[in-house]
Amino acid sequence: MHKHLIICWLSGLILTVNAQENQSYSSFKEVIQYEALDKIIDKNDDVLYVVNFWATWCGPCVKELPDFMEVNNQLSDKKDFKMILISLDDKNDLSPGLLSFLDNNHITADVYLLDDVKRMNQWMPKVDQSWTGSIPATAFYKNGEKLKFVEEQLHKTELIEIINQYLK
Amino acid sequence: MKTASKLSLLTLLSFFFISLSAKGYKIGDTATDFSLKNVDDSMVSLADYKDAKGFIVVFTCNECPYAKAYENRLIAIDQKYKDKGYPVIAINSNDPKASSSDKFELMKKKHADKQFTFPYLVDAGQEIYPQYGATKTPHVFILNKENKELIVRYIGTIDNNYKDANDVSEKYVEDAVEALLNKKPVPTSVTVAIGCGIKVK
Repeated sequence: MHKHLIICWLSGLILTVNAQENQSYSSFKEVIQYEALDKIIDKNDDVLYVVNFWATWCGPCVKELPDFMEVNNQLSDKKDFKMILISLDDKNDLSPGLLSFLDNNHITADVYLLDDVKRMNQWMPKVDQSWTGSIPATAFYKNGEKLKFVEEQLHKTELIEIINQYLK
Repeated sequence: MKTASKLSLLTLLSFFFISLSAKGYKIGDTATDFSLKNVDDSMVSLADYKDAKGFIVVFTCNECPYAKAYENRLIAIDQKYKDKGYPVIAINSNDPKASSSDKFELMKKKHADKQFTFPYLVDAGQEIYPQYGATKTPHVFILNKENKELIVRYIGTIDNNYKDANDVSEKYVEDAVEALLNKKPVPTSVTVAIGCGIKVK
């Protein structure tokens, strides 16, 4: 009961923040905790979800983003493809830090900020057992099943190769 | 056709084993010693510490926000456990060409500015971090001296809140060292947390 109340309060808070920020930054969705991420991925809809874990302070993450955006823009009309960026930036750096970064770098994928610092040791193994904690890391899901997990920077050709493997 | 599929299975298997062996140490493995240059230009080996019962080896660097967030906590851990036999040994494995903020002079500056109470060694050839299987900063490996060998007893993060030292509910490293001091099994021997990837040439 208590937990539900907190979740309600949190989502209320998130919606408020979102409503304020959404006017200028369309790619940013909301601040979430792991359970919400689980719900975003775990869908039985035949869509290939490419979920990239990154942060604005992470050099290799920022370096691979233009490649990711190029691929995302190429596949934007495909209904069975969706790219999601999970920012691990500090929640205090959301505005203007993350939001202006998204705007300046023309980020087109949906962006969530995962604010779940104290439970890393619980949610990270759920994303992938082999994940030691280095970012960037990218997971590929379809119908709630994880197809692949890569704990390193991906270049455009590698990313396309993986996507083609799983996209019909 | 059959041969082809057998071959591809073999290739797949060999990749599997290569990636397994590239993972570095697991709990219970014996860690090898090293000889790395400290910020005071002396060479440091674990064998130099005759009275140590073990080591808190931490792969870290100068500018990663997570590494910086833990600097003061590492000093506190070193001060708490050095005299009890478990000193902190910090190693910077970032290639200075790939990460200019990790040049040796800047490591010296960091050590002086932060008044590190522990050695801050440079993994100049980038040979040590792959042996350990360190992938990011900070990444901790606690070694325990058992029958003259250094046995890996803990791998992971320092505690469960990089952002706020006052809001930590799990002190993984301290709990591990306390357990070793009391000759008890380490309660949580492997943990994960986000960090900055080690920068390679």
